[in-house]
Amino acid sequence: MSDIAASDIVETVPSALIVLDRNLNISSANRAFYQTFRTSPGETEGCHIYDLGNRQWDIPALRTLLESVIPHRASVEGFEVEHDFPTIGRRTMLVNARKILRPGDHDGFILLAIEDVSEERVARKESKRNWQLTQSIVDTIRDPLVVLEDDMTIVTASKAFLTMFGITEAETHGRRVSDLGQHQWDVPALRHLMEKVLPENKPIEGFEIEDTFPGLGRRVFNLNARKISQPGNHAHRMLLVFEDITNRKQRERDALSLTNEISHRIKNNLQIIVGLIAYETKWTAAPCVQGYKAMQARIGAIAQLYDVISQSSRGDTVAVDAYLREIAKTMSASLLGNMSGIRIDVKAEPLEIDPDRAVPFGLLVNELATNAIKHAFPDGLGRVLLSVEQVGDQIELSVADDGVGMRDKGSAKISEKRGSEYVAIFVRQLGGAIVPSASEGTGTLVRIRLPLLLVPSGGAEPLAA
Amino acid sequence: MAVILIVEDEIFTLQMAGMMIEDWGHHALSASAVGEALALLRSTQQIDVLFTDIYLRADVLGGCDLAYQAMKLRPRLRVLFTTGNAVTDKLKALFVEGAHFLPKPYTSLQLQHSVDGLLAA
Repeated sequence: MSDIAASDIVETVPSALIVLDRNLNISSANRAFYQTFRTSPGETEGCHIYDLGNRQWDIPALRTLLESVIPHRASVEGFEVEHDFPTIGRRTMLVNARKILRPGDHDGFILLAIEDVSEERVARKESKRNWQLTQSIVDTIRDPLVVLEDDMTIVTASKAFLTMFGITEAETHGRRVSDLGQHQWDVPALRHLMEKVLPENKPIEGFEIEDTFPGLGRRVFNLNARKISQPGNHAHRMLLVFEDITNRKQRERDALSLTNEISHRIKNNLQIIVGLIAYETKWTAAPCVQGYKAMQARIGAIAQLYDVISQSSRGDTVAVDAYLREIAKTMSASLLGNMSGIRIDVKAEPLEIDPDRAVPFGLLVNELATNAIKHAFPDGLGRVLLSVEQVGDQIELSVADDGVGMRDKGSAKISEKRGSEYVAIFVRQLGGAIVPSASEGTGTLVRIRLPLLLVPSGGAEPLAA
Repeated sequence: MAVILIVEDEIFTLQMAGMMIEDWGHHALSASAVGEALALLRSTQQIDVLFTDIYLRADVLGGCDLAYQAMKLRPRLRVLFTTGNAVTDKLKALFVEGAHFLPKPYTSLQLQHSVDGLLAA
């Protein structure tokens, strides 16, 4: 009864099993054994283990196990035997052996469980080779980088990383980036971003850190991180790259400080010019004073546009929406003061303009808006709307107010006429034309169409001010 | 009539600002450096507004420092800053509380609005 049960068990286990008597003759083997080693019970049973299949089991490692180890121990586990079998090729086997003594039988027998781990060993070798390949790729990348486990500890650090930060591999392994060096990377904002990389698959692009690093001095690093996953492996890791942008940053800072220096000089010189005009105004006959004041205001507008352009420029172009908003802000602050009841609003599509034409464009807006502010609101209450939209292959600039409307042209003052002449000149300079608008009720609307000196910057979603 | 202390290292601009201020009936005092301005602020002279350039030749943020020291001497003093440089938020953070700002170049009218606004605040 117990024999039957044992043989049932023996037949169902996936490992190859053989039972040897004390002379190392095979008394039985299971189906897994016959399948794995492509043999049959007829060829096997009663055969001495070393004679089995043209003595292919006469393996020195197996001899050691059976002749030297087993006699002294009741069981052996995980004994590894690697052998080139003529029938099935090179195999790695893990052998578990147990000496079994039955009551009354002093010699007993030996049960050998043979597990073929060849494929696992090949996979492990492959994985090791992959890892070495990855490591060598990692080491050839010039930017320092680390690979992190999902608990943020370092799995591997590139040679560039170790060299740059003057640490050894042992010092990085298993440690968190935030614990390295003098905790320069222990920045809450960075930690927060890093925690999202793996669970949300949200890469970090260009996180800047500036600090003093031992042996390196003041450095600026740009950090990029992304999730990496190996096919067939469920574990995810993070690749964190440290790009040293110190030199680039320094060049940017130098350029900015040069720009600031030039801007400072230009504005101080313009201040002198405005001062000269102000001084002349003192000795000028009353009818001319208005003209001198307008001249000062226009010089001021050019100087302000200078700042506005640098603040709203995106590389080679100036963002019109940001530009209009800056003009509105500057005009609100300088022309109206904080107490004014006149509001300047902006409604602009995200369009771009080349910097060469940004100044006449700005002066045009300035002229139109100034006119509105000066003449449309005798009560000091109202709204001016500056808007820009793309209409076909043209761009339409409109300046509208909800004031008292255009007076009879014949009665316009000389200064107003000059203002509209400037408008005409700037429109011509920009290659555009004034669109005649019917005056409907109150307020004034001036619409100007300009050729596509403006290029769309992607989406055409209208942006409210 | 209010008394306005103008601090500006560009002498011509200093004179012109003084002239603008006097033109609309206020009294102007002039200083071209921090030390000179502090001497006036330490005196018993009436001063209602400190109108100072931020970048004073010898002193990059001289105007900001001057305003701090001036407020210690005269806590009720009103401060108006000017500069030809772009004003960043970083720079604004250095302004004394309640200070106003007028960018260069400013016209006579803009200076008048700024000073009047400051006196009314």
